[in-house]
Amino acid sequence: MKILVVDDDLHIQRLYKEEFEDEGYEVVVASNGQEAIEMFEKEAPDIVTLDILLPDIDGIRILRQMKEKNPKIPIIMSTAYDYRDDFAVWASEAYIVKSSDLDELKAMIKNLLSK
Amino acid sequence: MDIRNAQKFTEMIFKNIRDGIVILDRDYRILDANESIEKWAKRPVADIINSDCRDVFHGEGQICPHCAAQQAFETGQISTVTQKNNKQDTAVYAELSAYPIKSESGEIRECVVFIQDITDRMLCHDEVLRLYDEVIQTKEYLESIIEHSADAIVTSDLNGIITSWNNGAERIYHFTKEDALGNFLPFVPEFLVDSERDNNRKIRDGEVLKRVETFRKKKDGAIISVSLTLSPIKNAGGEIIGISEISRDISEKKNVEKELVRRNQELSRLFFISSAMRGTLDLDRLLRMVLTAVTMGDGLGFNRAILFLVDDEKHSLRGAMGVGPASYEEAFHVWERLSNEKKTLPDIMEEIDVGLLRKDSFFDKLSQSIEIPLSTETSLAKAVNEQKRFNIDDVGKEPLSDAVLIQQLGTRAFAAVPLISRNRVIGVLWVDNYFNNRAITEEDMHFLTAFSNHVASAIENARLFERVKLAEQELENIFESISDMVYFVTEDYVIKNINQAVSKRLKKSPNEIIGKKCHEIFHGIHEPWAACPHRKSVEMREAFVQEVEDPFLGGTFIMSCSPIIDISGRFMGTVNILSDITELKNLRERVIKTDRMAALGEVAARVAHEIRNPLVSLGGFARRLEKRLNGGLKEYADIIGKEVERLETILNEILSFVKETRVRKENVSAQKLMEEVVSLSRSEIDDREIALIEDFGEPVELYVDPNRVKDALLNVVRNAIQAVEHAGTISLKIYRKNKTCVIEIGDSGPGITEEDLPFIFDPFYTTKKQGTGLGLTITHRIIEEHDGRIEVESRGGKGSVFRLVIPIKEA
Repeated sequence: MKILVVDDDLHIQRLYKEEFEDEGYEVVVASNGQEAIEMFEKEAPDIVTLDILLPDIDGIRILRQMKEKNPKIPIIMSTAYDYRDDFAVWASEAYIVKSSDLDELKAMIKNLLSK
Repeated sequence: MDIRNAQKFTEMIFKNIRDGIVILDRDYRILDANESIEKWAKRPVADIINSDCRDVFHGEGQICPHCAAQQAFETGQISTVTQKNNKQDTAVYAELSAYPIKSESGEIRECVVFIQDITDRMLCHDEVLRLYDEVIQTKEYLESIIEHSADAIVTSDLNGIITSWNNGAERIYHFTKEDALGNFLPFVPEFLVDSERDNNRKIRDGEVLKRVETFRKKKDGAIISVSLTLSPIKNAGGEIIGISEISRDISEKKNVEKELVRRNQELSRLFFISSAMRGTLDLDRLLRMVLTAVTMGDGLGFNRAILFLVDDEKHSLRGAMGVGPASYEEAFHVWERLSNEKKTLPDIMEEIDVGLLRKDSFFDKLSQSIEIPLSTETSLAKAVNEQKRFNIDDVGKEPLSDAVLIQQLGTRAFAAVPLISRNRVIGVLWVDNYFNNRAITEEDMHFLTAFSNHVASAIENARLFERVKLAEQELENIFESISDMVYFVTEDYVIKNINQAVSKRLKKSPNEIIGKKCHEIFHGIHEPWAACPHRKSVEMREAFVQEVEDPFLGGTFIMSCSPIIDISGRFMGTVNILSDITELKNLRERVIKTDRMAALGEVAARVAHEIRNPLVSLGGFARRLEKRLNGGLKEYADIIGKEVERLETILNEILSFVKETRVRKENVSAQKLMEEVVSLSRSEIDDREIALIEDFGEPVELYVDPNRVKDALLNVVRNAIQAVEHAGTISLKIYRKNKTCVIEIGDSGPGITEEDLPFIFDPFYTTKKQGTGLGLTITHRIIEEHDGRIEVESRGGKGSVFRLVIPIKEA
């Protein structure tokens, strides 16, 4: 199973990659929107964790583009700020506020991939 | 009887009979005569024997026995003639009978003439003749009188069927003899037929009705006043067989009388009417007075009258009131009663409200339905637009006649005069004589105009007064219904008047407030309040508006005080308006707070990003470290992880507090929400060995934002866990109460002290060693967002119970 981690914070990128690899997933990363779209096409991930606040394109637009390309791939919005009230995020399969405790995120990924 | 006796007998008759007897031969020589002949011959019998009869009786005026004899000689028959002797002073009549006497040979040689004085008889006969002539003449005379009488003389049988109809009747009533004869009293108006039958009954009983004043109808339907004498007609046997009716048209007389009355009373009436009218400001009553004055016989005497008033808004004339009978019958009854009761105008005015011409009569209602646009080319519109008066004697010939008046009122002739007050036409007075068809004269118009000038200003005054009254009523209504407190206060701070809002707010009846000092009532102090704008207004005689916080009334108010100055410039007091803006102020403060929060939210999103990301890496890597390390270093890593976790919690709470959130409601059961909250807290509860008592009952369906309500419940449950600390109990209960769902969270912790209780929902208020003090604030806000409330029951040492009460969505 391949996870695409999109986050401009390199520490978080690394934390996610290591933690997910420990769980046995293959992990690819992207640091901005442009890269994220390219990786999504090239790597064909099974699931994506997507930050909303990115330096180039905002996460909502990336979400839309990914969904247009392949709506079957589940996307977890993982953000520093709670955007849960924003209608746009409803298009994603799940939503999580970033936390140093990754147990909830891991459970979410496992759950989505098993469907 | 023998011959001798017979002869003697004959002689005796001959001598003694009163009739004169002469015996003539064919030469008219008198052969013999009796003594009674002397009366006729005026000579002794002896002188005339053997004389020629023609000599004895000759000349003018003499009787003529030979004339009678001649006939007898010629015809051989008895001849009788009547002759008149005029020679004497008095006429003498004689009846001469000549009896021819035949000889044995059958020749007639002699003739006996009997002369009988029939003067008495004749005189009697003459008298009869004369009398007869006289009767004939009298009859002709009477008939001529009847025929040529100016009065209508009519006879009828007992059933009222006309048997004679004179020229006078024809002249007065215009029915010809042919029209009338054989018909039932054609000149009796329909409305009088019954009373006429009554009259007939009285005549049949032998009564004579003299000079009764009543009404009669002309052939064209016009009603005239007549004076009537009814008498029975008797036959020779004294039996009543008919009725004679002599009637005289007294309309003219009546008119003259009326004119006289008019002229004599004009001044006094005008004076009376205008003073009566000045005495009333009630428009309705005034209009009725005016119309009564116009229609009463004692007043202007018109049959019907309507007052139209100008409706400036609609630019039309509108019937305001009408007075007049609806029918001939009603007309008659009204007139009859008025004439019977002999009421004068002042009497009628006195009884105007209970009188005959009552309000809401048929005619009044009819009048009020009439509306005439002033833009039309009609007499009434012109009366207003050009201040003209109209006297239209035939609506058919007058192009300006108002069609609506002809159609609705059936008027055939009418007059209209404008009511002018202060050079402005305020209405039109309309009159007609529908029932008696009396022509409206120039005199009428003159008086009508004078009258209308008098009443116009009175009506205008009443109308203005009515408007003022209406405005006053409106003001009163506004005053009462205004939700702000409005009250009038005199210069010495005495409350004169208040509206309902005042007595409602103060929870006192108006009686308890009016007449008291305002500072006592509103501020509970015995002297005017120094900070009160009212006092400033009283002292400075100026209007003041100020926001006042009044601890006595308990709230914040906008107080507006305006001095009341009367026309003469005298200060009467102030009108004060107190508008409770406590709510508004709270709202305003909340808006400001919200604005601040929104701005804060913007910043928070940025800050969150900048702080959370490093915290996540920090905490995340600390956890990874902890897994790989042993001993003391492992513990350090753990501490870093825990502290990061704490920082994250604080961050979350602050962010959720400042963030503007949209509520996304859906149907969810309270039990399900609670179960999720419990599962999130399960590990902690177990860790602390807390006994959890669940009493969830029947599922209660809520329509709420599940995430928000879960947050709210989680905060309370976490507080409970922290309160219990270790090995206590937490009880969770869900039940339905009325139309709400109650979620009860109780704990066996130390409880909340009385001092702390009022502040537990305030932000950043906390008694815990750890925490932001925002948990309950957030919970409170979420429950408020769902129109619910939180009840707290707590006493130091006895634990706490939080009840979250959320309304259940109506099915």
